[in-house]
Amino acid sequence: MSDERWKEDEALLESLRKGTPGAVDELLRLYQGKIFNLAMSILKNESDAEEAAQDVFMTVIRKADTFQGNSAFYSWMYRICVNTCLMRLRGKRRNETVSIEEFMPVFTDEGMHASPMDDWSKEVERDALNEELGRMIRKYTGELSEKYRIVFVLSDVEGLSNEETAKILGLTVPAIKSRLHRARLYLREQLSRYLREGKAG
Amino acid sequence: MNCKELAYMLADYFDGSMDPRLREELDDHLSRCEPCTAFTKTFQVTCRETRKLREDIEYAIPTEVRERLETFVRTAALKYPEKVNEYREQVERDRREKAANLVRAATAGKLSSATSSLVENHCSACPECREYFDALTKTAVLQSADPPEGIRSHLIVLMQALPPGEDFFLA
Repeated sequence: MSDERWKEDEALLESLRKGTPGAVDELLRLYQGKIFNLAMSILKNESDAEEAAQDVFMTVIRKADTFQGNSAFYSWMYRICVNTCLMRLRGKRRNETVSIEEFMPVFTDEGMHASPMDDWSKEVERDALNEELGRMIRKYTGELSEKYRIVFVLSDVEGLSNEETAKILGLTVPAIKSRLHRARLYLREQLSRYLREGKAG
Repeated sequence: MNCKELAYMLADYFDGSMDPRLREELDDHLSRCEPCTAFTKTFQVTCRETRKLREDIEYAIPTEVRERLETFVRTAALKYPEKVNEYREQVERDRREKAANLVRAATAGKLSSATSSLVENHCSACPECREYFDALTKTAVLQSADPPEGIRSHLIVLMQALPPGEDFFLA
């Protein structure tokens, strides 16, 4: 993460601790969108995500004073958010998710592609269907199980490094990298099927 | 290198962490294999389109949610000065409880495997904690689940390395 963001966070944490007027507004300005989106991507339900976001900010305000500073402020906050959301998911009926295995590339015993590969990369560049594609990416990402979804959101949407994501989730960097890669392979396959069917239809 | 290996190595290929010799092998395979070329190009486009979503994602919070959230957090924060001591005590209670639970689970031999290995790892580097846990297992009787502050702070840090939402004990 950039030095600038780090400095901004340090200053914010300091003013939260001191109870400086405007500290909370600054906290909200910087983070409410991110926290709500992260919560949304885990919980897939607006009112659940709203309640989770409330909990997250309350926890942050309460604990800012005792926050140890052995991790960056934002990663501490993301971790609180992931924790809060996973606790909420417990005991609830899980949302329907697809099995990522069904969308992994298929190979022959010799390790060659088992089905013909369509190169639709040019199509995407040429056609103005980017907005449509964005919508589909969101839809397909939403159908992933949270194991992959959380990693995907932190890395590809929030733009955190694998190291940062690993810290937040308490996983190793190779584990993050492998989940992320599988999530991307899954998306590629979903988009392929979508574009192929679109052409057929 | 075959097509399957190539597909799973694309992550290293694109983030630049790939060994140069492997990269050469991969490039060589790509130059000869049409399906892999299509696969790699579409993979790349997928990643690029995904990154584009980052730009407008921040505005995806609905206005009424934003307003309610702001009101809620501001109201709660207003009460902060009068409640700060209460919050501090609560945080301290939470910490104590968390550490005590870990010690109790350790004494009962009910730590999850991830937590056990974290504790073992830590103890191999920290004589203070090792001594404490050795004494626990030797006596097998729990005098007090409330470890000294020095050890407590180590245990709290240690538990932060666990994946969120995961229990540190076996049910």
